[in-house]
Amino acid sequence: MLEGKVALVTGGSRGIGRAIALELADEGADIIINYLRHRSAAQKTAEEIREKGRRVHTIRANVGEPEKIKAMFNEIASIFGHLDILVNNAASGVARSAMELDERGWDWTMDINARAFLLCAQHAVKLMEGRGGKMVAISSLGSRLAWPVYTGVGVSKAALEALTRYLAIELAPYNIAVNAIAAAAVQTEALDIYKPAEMLTETWQTTPAGRMVQPEDVAKLVAFLCRDESFMIRGQTIIIDGGFSIAPLIT
Amino acid sequence: MATEDIVRDIVTRITRKDTSQFTSTATFKDFEADSLDIVQILVALEDEFDIEILDEELQNITNMGGFVAYIDGKITEKG
Repeated sequence: MLEGKVALVTGGSRGIGRAIALELADEGADIIINYLRHRSAAQKTAEEIREKGRRVHTIRANVGEPEKIKAMFNEIASIFGHLDILVNNAASGVARSAMELDERGWDWTMDINARAFLLCAQHAVKLMEGRGGKMVAISSLGSRLAWPVYTGVGVSKAALEALTRYLAIELAPYNIAVNAIAAAAVQTEALDIYKPAEMLTETWQTTPAGRMVQPEDVAKLVAFLCRDESFMIRGQTIIIDGGFSIAPLIT
Repeated sequence: MATEDIVRDIVTRITRKDTSQFTSTATFKDFEADSLDIVQILVALEDEFDIEILDEELQNITNMGGFVAYIDGKITEKG
């Protein structure tokens, strides 16, 4: 369903990004995996995609740095010539409360989680010119709930969701659809930083669907938003949480 | 420039500490390095030497001497 499409997944080496890269490849897309620190994991994911018969390329770049983003898109342009799908998934942050969060932690988090989407979108539009495209930003329920020590990331995700709406309107005339996905706590390694085991138990116990969100759940929703059947969905943040956010008191 | 000099420059630049504090027995704790400092140090070293630093391999390293030796090992491994 995505045959012949070229997709960039930022933070695509592990966790949710990896699942998205694999899912889009399953649907026929060629994949560019952006990563920062986990080269071996990126290569392993790339190998899995290659085995599916898709083209795949890995690019190391800190999306918190504008020059690195520019270089990444130059590399994509020279290798693939165009881009059809941008999945803004890369995220980072410091586990601090609002009173503990300093300027460096704020800037680091906002640059990687929110500003990167703006800059990636600006570059991606040039590679989508004349063919249209899809952009999907991976957000989090922390954009609207207040989780302990999640301040910086939560605020950056709120910015990401707002940016999604602005981009959706501005890019609609170019046949580019922009949406976001806000997941509840997803079972990945990254979660260990923010939530101790007992909180995770509490999360799935209070999830009406009876389990936590898995990376593959998010990946399948991304794939849907990248297909033409989602054409009329624009600028939305779709919550995927098994009902967690609307039934917080169920135990 | 020797590996130790580059590691020292990066660690002191990112933690904003005096380079004289960088001895082989010093620890990240001595530099009051927080989690963001450490991530930025690791990214800078990966950039500088084109290596991959695995977090799990850092668990048993106790001081800067060991850290420099680990980085040297990664550079050698890369060939």
